[in-house]
Amino acid sequence: MNYSRNELVKTEATMNQMRNSLYILVRFMEKNGIKNSTEIFRRMGRNIARTYINYWKPTDFIKISNLKDVITTIYKNVLNSTISIEINDTEKLVIVRDYKCALCKYQYDDVEIAGCEILLGMISEFISLISKESTEPNSIFLDPIEVKESRANGNKSCLQLYRYKISGEA
Amino acid sequence: MGAFQWLMKKITKVFGRSTNSLFYVLLNREILKEVNEITKNEENSLLILREIGKKAAYESCERHSGVFKFMPGNPKKILDYFEILWVVVFGSELEDYSYEEISNEGSKYNDYILTISKCPICAGYGQDEEDSFDFNKLQGIETEGLACGLCGMLESVANFILKIKRNDYRIQIIEQDCIAKGGNNLKFICKIHDYKEWAALSASRISERKSKGIYLEEDTEEEILQETKLDIIDKIQDIISIDKLEEYLDEPLESLKEKVAEIIRDKMNMEPEHFFDYFRNYEDDMIRIIGYLGIHLLNEYGGLLEKTLKNEWFSKIFGYLFKQLRNMTLLFIPLDVIRDYNKLLVSFIEGLAPEEMVDNIKLFSGKDTINYLFEGAQMALENLGIDFSELKENIWEEITKEREDGLVSSETSTADKTREKIPQLINILQEFLMIINDILTLPIRVIISESHYGIKTAINSVVSEEEGLYGSIKERFDNIFDQIQDIRK
Repeated sequence: MNYSRNELVKTEATMNQMRNSLYILVRFMEKNGIKNSTEIFRRMGRNIARTYINYWKPTDFIKISNLKDVITTIYKNVLNSTISIEINDTEKLVIVRDYKCALCKYQYDDVEIAGCEILLGMISEFISLISKESTEPNSIFLDPIEVKESRANGNKSCLQLYRYKISGEA
Repeated sequence: MGAFQWLMKKITKVFGRSTNSLFYVLLNREILKEVNEITKNEENSLLILREIGKKAAYESCERHSGVFKFMPGNPKKILDYFEILWVVVFGSELEDYSYEEISNEGSKYNDYILTISKCPICAGYGQDEEDSFDFNKLQGIETEGLACGLCGMLESVANFILKIKRNDYRIQIIEQDCIAKGGNNLKFICKIHDYKEWAALSASRISERKSKGIYLEEDTEEEILQETKLDIIDKIQDIISIDKLEEYLDEPLESLKEKVAEIIRDKMNMEPEHFFDYFRNYEDDMIRIIGYLGIHLLNEYGGLLEKTLKNEWFSKIFGYLFKQLRNMTLLFIPLDVIRDYNKLLVSFIEGLAPEEMVDNIKLFSGKDTINYLFEGAQMALENLGIDFSELKENIWEEITKEREDGLVSSETSTADKTREKIPQLINILQEFLMIINDILTLPIRVIISESHYGIKTAINSVVSEEEGLYGSIKERFDNIFDQIQDIRK
């Protein structure tokens, strides 16, 4: 009897080689004329979230009051990252700073995309999937905006930007 | 599990960056799917995933080459240490596996088949809508499976070790059976090739990829790029190889003495007595050199100690801890225990060194020996950046001073983060103190058991490997590694 995915949720794996794999994948895509690697990375993230949520989710509802905690919990449980998070109510932005991003560590001169584009896709999909299932009237939905800074681009930390929407609001 | 395997697994786990295993597995799946989006050919996609894994692991090995210098440099041994390779690559324990050795006539080494009953990569594959890479479309019998990327990583790590150990053999690892493809187990076949065969195999792999229209950056490492400069780890490993730790522990004291004598004869081309004669009347310096070299050896792991001590605060903290340890050793360790260590040193040197030298060492009190060792260690620490003349009486005076000067950050978040780590740091210190206590009981046991069962008996004394001193120290180091992992999170 092989492992189940439920069992995998409780264990940890070393990311070093897999992180490098992402940048080799980008080079492979570029060699084969693929230009939209950012969109591809986000799609990969969305797919990961769609499967992952079948085995674990941090909560059953997300409102603006628990949004920070939910995102922090996902980063901690899935990626082992301790992040700092800021919410800008005026522009409806969620700003996540990760000093130890699981997917970005080294700067590559020949690769422009940051590995954590995958996380933008995954986190926003995770939040949106929970909210879709939720009966809460003011559920939160998240859209990825951009990776503003990344260790893969030579910055000290990764800065990931999302835009949130509250269901029922225009 | 042997001491060496255990130590390597702990080190590689602590220094790796980990995530949840399910995230890892799903990321692997997504990479394969995206490759397949480009190739539109399942067989080619698996070939490419393997190459991606291979290159990714090679890149990682190059960055941390120091760690691999301690690994065994013999292809047969590397297979014995497959468990470590698995931990290096995958980060979790390899459970429930078996080997089968397949005779390979005409070749120096046999082939191996490794069967692993549970595969984390294949766990639950096919149960979710996004598991859309279709293994049913594979036509070739010899295609690999979902763990082919991992397989490429394992092959790459194994061959990187052989390369830096200047070995002319290389290992080919192929995924022969895959659970996601319908197999019962994850099965790897490991073949060992000499360098010529390996070069031909690599060339044929590249031309196969080209013929299939696969465009991937090609290998750069196909030559044995021997590093010309030998560092101190290479030199030490020429004399004592850490992967032979178990063998050394099995040797009784007399055999160890013989081994040391052999090394001196072999490497220095002189009789041990002549070698030790150089230190006659300078016995105290000889002991200081042991302390001095001990610290420099610690620093050899990636220059970690030196790098740490470049930070003014770490340098001060380390300096205070060292001073504290030096005072505590003389205050709290019973003189009888120190005398036991002295007796052990005398028994070791008897027969190797001239009689006059042995007599001089016998004159040292245990306290002298400890002081000489600490003096040597302090000289080394000064070399590495600790300015002992700058240190106050104790660390509390230092902290008070800095606070008055306003140099310690008062930012709440930083303070909170530090406070969070304090329990782990205290636990680490506590575990180290317990290890020192455990070790203190060792010398008398070594002397008693010397003529019977050797150091290993003394270490495991009386009960069993798990319950004896070895088990106790191992458990404490397990705790220390766990605490370090917690801090790193």
